[in-house]
Amino acid sequence: MMKLIRLAVLAAVMVLPTSLVLAAGADNYPDKTVNYIIPFGPGGESDITARHQQSFFKKLFDEDLVISYKPGGGGAVGWSQLNGMKGDGYTIMGINLPHIVIKPRQKDVGFKTEDITGVYMFHYTPDALVVTSDSPFKTIQDIIDYAKSNPGKLTTSGSGKGTANHLAQIRFDKMAGVKTTYVAFKGTGKAVTALLGDQVRAEWGYTSIGAKHEGKVRLLAVAMEKRHPKFPDVPTFKELGFDIVSGAYRGIAVPKSTPEPIRVKLSEMIAQINADPEFRERMENDGMALLDVGYVDYQAFVDEKAKVYLEAAREAGVIK
Amino acid sequence: MQTDHTENVVERDFGGMVTAAVFILVAVVALWDTTNMVDADSFVFPRAVAIAMIIFCMLLIAWGLIRPIPGDGEASAPGASTTRRVSLVAAMLGSTALMPWLGFLISGFAAFVSIMLIAMYDEWTPFRKLVYPLVCAAFVVGFYFLFAELLLVPLPIGGLFE
Amino acid sequence: MPGIEYLLEALTPFNIMLALGGVIAGTIIGSLPGLTATMAVAVLVPITFSMPPASALILMGAIYTGAIYGGAYAAILLNTPGTPSAIATTFDGFPMAKRGDGDLAVTLACLASVAGGLVGAAFLLGLAPPLAKVALAFGPVEYFWLAVFGLTLISALSEGNLLKGLIGACFGLLLSSIGIAEISADVRFTFGSQVLLGGIETVSALIGLYCVPVLIDLVATPDRHLKVTHQPKGFRLIEALAISWKYKFNLVRSSVIGTLVGILPGAGGSIAGLVAYSEARRVSKRSEHFGTGEPEGVQATESANNATVGGGFIPTLVLGIPGTPPDAVILGALLIQGVRTGPNLFTEEGSIVYTFIYGLFLATILMLPVGLVIGRYAYKIIITVPKAMLVPTVAFMTMIGTFSIRNSVSDVIIMITLGVIGWILNRAGYSPSPIVLGLILGRIAEQGFVQAWTIGAATDELAAMFFGRPISLAIIAFIGLSLFYPLIRSRWTGRRRKVNAD
Repeated sequence: MMKLIRLAVLAAVMVLPTSLVLAAGADNYPDKTVNYIIPFGPGGESDITARHQQSFFKKLFDEDLVISYKPGGGGAVGWSQLNGMKGDGYTIMGINLPHIVIKPRQKDVGFKTEDITGVYMFHYTPDALVVTSDSPFKTIQDIIDYAKSNPGKLTTSGSGKGTANHLAQIRFDKMAGVKTTYVAFKGTGKAVTALLGDQVRAEWGYTSIGAKHEGKVRLLAVAMEKRHPKFPDVPTFKELGFDIVSGAYRGIAVPKSTPEPIRVKLSEMIAQINADPEFRERMENDGMALLDVGYVDYQAFVDEKAKVYLEAAREAGVIK
Repeated sequence: MQTDHTENVVERDFGGMVTAAVFILVAVVALWDTTNMVDADSFVFPRAVAIAMIIFCMLLIAWGLIRPIPGDGEASAPGASTTRRVSLVAAMLGSTALMPWLGFLISGFAAFVSIMLIAMYDEWTPFRKLVYPLVCAAFVVGFYFLFAELLLVPLPIGGLFE
Repeated sequence: MPGIEYLLEALTPFNIMLALGGVIAGTIIGSLPGLTATMAVAVLVPITFSMPPASALILMGAIYTGAIYGGAYAAILLNTPGTPSAIATTFDGFPMAKRGDGDLAVTLACLASVAGGLVGAAFLLGLAPPLAKVALAFGPVEYFWLAVFGLTLISALSEGNLLKGLIGACFGLLLSSIGIAEISADVRFTFGSQVLLGGIETVSALIGLYCVPVLIDLVATPDRHLKVTHQPKGFRLIEALAISWKYKFNLVRSSVIGTLVGILPGAGGSIAGLVAYSEARRVSKRSEHFGTGEPEGVQATESANNATVGGGFIPTLVLGIPGTPPDAVILGALLIQGVRTGPNLFTEEGSIVYTFIYGLFLATILMLPVGLVIGRYAYKIIITVPKAMLVPTVAFMTMIGTFSIRNSVSDVIIMITLGVIGWILNRAGYSPSPIVLGLILGRIAEQGFVQAWTIGAATDELAAMFFGRPISLAIIAFIGLSLFYPLIRSRWTGRRRKVNAD
């Protein structure tokens, strides 16, 4: 008898706050802890950017942003479960481009790109071609010359296949008319280790690697519109004649059932964090670039990027 | 165990051989699945492993047929209760399956209590009848608190309550 | 000693409290199956934001080392590795517990862990920058051969039936391929199921294959779980110290192995324990007894896995490349604090690094009293609690622990299913250890192989790639030794016996 009563009390205690939240609407949002799920393991770049946001979230909105992890399938496990979660604004998930575009096209991974309800794309790490500081390759032209005279011999590392790194390599090879060999590693960390250990000649990575391993690596070019403030001496691919502006984009999504006012409010909140000058400084110092694509512009942005990614992926044979 | 009637009753490692046969099936299924892999890099390793597995299994079955040796699996203790064993697995699986619906607290408590009953061999003294259920509740609630609040693990609330 | 001026900074009351609290919390968390050191550290990261970097490191390091040690409890007393680093501890730890030496095993594990942790921290203190180069020299090929070396342990773990061990290992290798492949972006062996997309999670598989069969057998009979041959009095500390001293070479060698494996990014405590165990067994005079409850076995694994703590920090701090999974989280926390890793850390920002390293020494030393006390209680609890309470508690812990790894209910179902399969396989004479070996090493072996192949093929140096590199050759030599040494030795002792008889 006692356990039944106890259970009833516990059940009531759990139901009550839930119903209160649902009734609140967007006015008091957020008035309790928000659960921020990262669909990758701890310690990765998605984790680090989330941690940055965590401290500013607390500062600006006086509520806790709690980070939890749901790794698996390169993000697929988390994204496939997103719409099954509670849509009250207190559960949000990190999303990554090109992952959410490419993965569903490869095989049935449990979700489709259209299933993801993004509210903001807040940052991107631009692609960059990285070499070690003592590498004989000083400019992109050196790479192209070497690759032209030694087709297939130039080995580059990168994180995974069908990812931003891989697609960048494919597009570059096509535009420069060369053939290089891409070696996939599990995660950016391992790809950098391979570069530093001279297992490969170069790495298709991100500008953040240039910041993290300052002094040990050299960026040959960055895939941005304008030069990165932290690396003013590094040319953009565009300057050199290659129209490659890309990278890994990160954003936040909510379950489909999240009501519209909360989506808009959340979008504004992330925008606020992004606008904070100290936040911007920290992110840029870590080699990342900031982006402001809010809820309204999200779909158009993703569609535009999807076109480019899918074409490159088709050429690589990553998707049919 | 070998007995005096070794002429008529020959111990064979049936358990081992049957399992090996099942493993051959597993390897075949794995090989079949590799045929719809796009990238060559994907299937090299699994195919090699599956083929090796089939070879080892066949060797084991052949060896077992030619040279009869008794099986070396763990022997069951005398008087072991199969009912309890099956019930344990059922309780664990059942409560896990119910978790998304009833939430962690309730299904966890149900699991705890049912497993306690399955593992109970001592007599139900009045003391035990009172204390055990309380201890069950204490454990379940205590662990819930540790994980959900201290370690910030999002334990399921349960579809029924959302 | 380098940076000795920072020793005092490590000994501030605040830092001592962090070290002590961290070790206690880490040990308890590590002992719960399913809760890993990575998880424990990840949860505490936000707390560290408000601390000075050195103190944050001390806290995280203390939790890390406590958690690695704590995994030994469940391994010895419940045959369940509390953390993956304790896998090899079950090989001899659980048999020791079953025959009534559980308290001795726990104390041995504590002494070995402290020794290993100190050795690892010593290497970190003195030789970090040069040793970090080793981390970089290990390429895909070396990882592949290292994984193969780990797989040679199958022969040792198959309890006499090599074929069954090989079959089990193959099964484990296939299981490791389930899910999205990292090296090729293909989805393998999921048969359309979304549940299997993430692959089989290592820790939940461990719990399933090792712990669930034990539970299934526990409910079947009214017998006691562990044999109790004497009243648990004291820690059997003198006895454990005597044993530790007797096998001191084992202790030192295993700690060094653990440190070196910890330096290699991606190879963590589990690999360190396996390699150290393999070597200890090879050179021991009592190698036939390994697996039946040999103290040397427990010593080897526990010192190796705690040595990975110090070893893992070497590439983390010098290169910014995490040596082990918890290091990745710690690195993230450091980055947020604005601490740049690199050799400068040891020269310009010496205060942070050296304060931390001395704090790590402190935490490791504190593990001795903490570990002994907690271990004694753990042992007493396990042997006195009636079965009707023990089984549900352990079952419940495994379910909640498995869930917490990836916040996934399906992981729990997979765990239970693997448990049933493991029980059936035990009956048929197939031990779970080769399967686990295959599961853990499969990914490393496959990735190493495919990457090495790609690079070798691209540069037309395939043969040189696999067989031409110095570190690879050394590992291949060990593989040969590991496989043939027992044969050579038995031939040699046989000959000696003949000579003596003449």
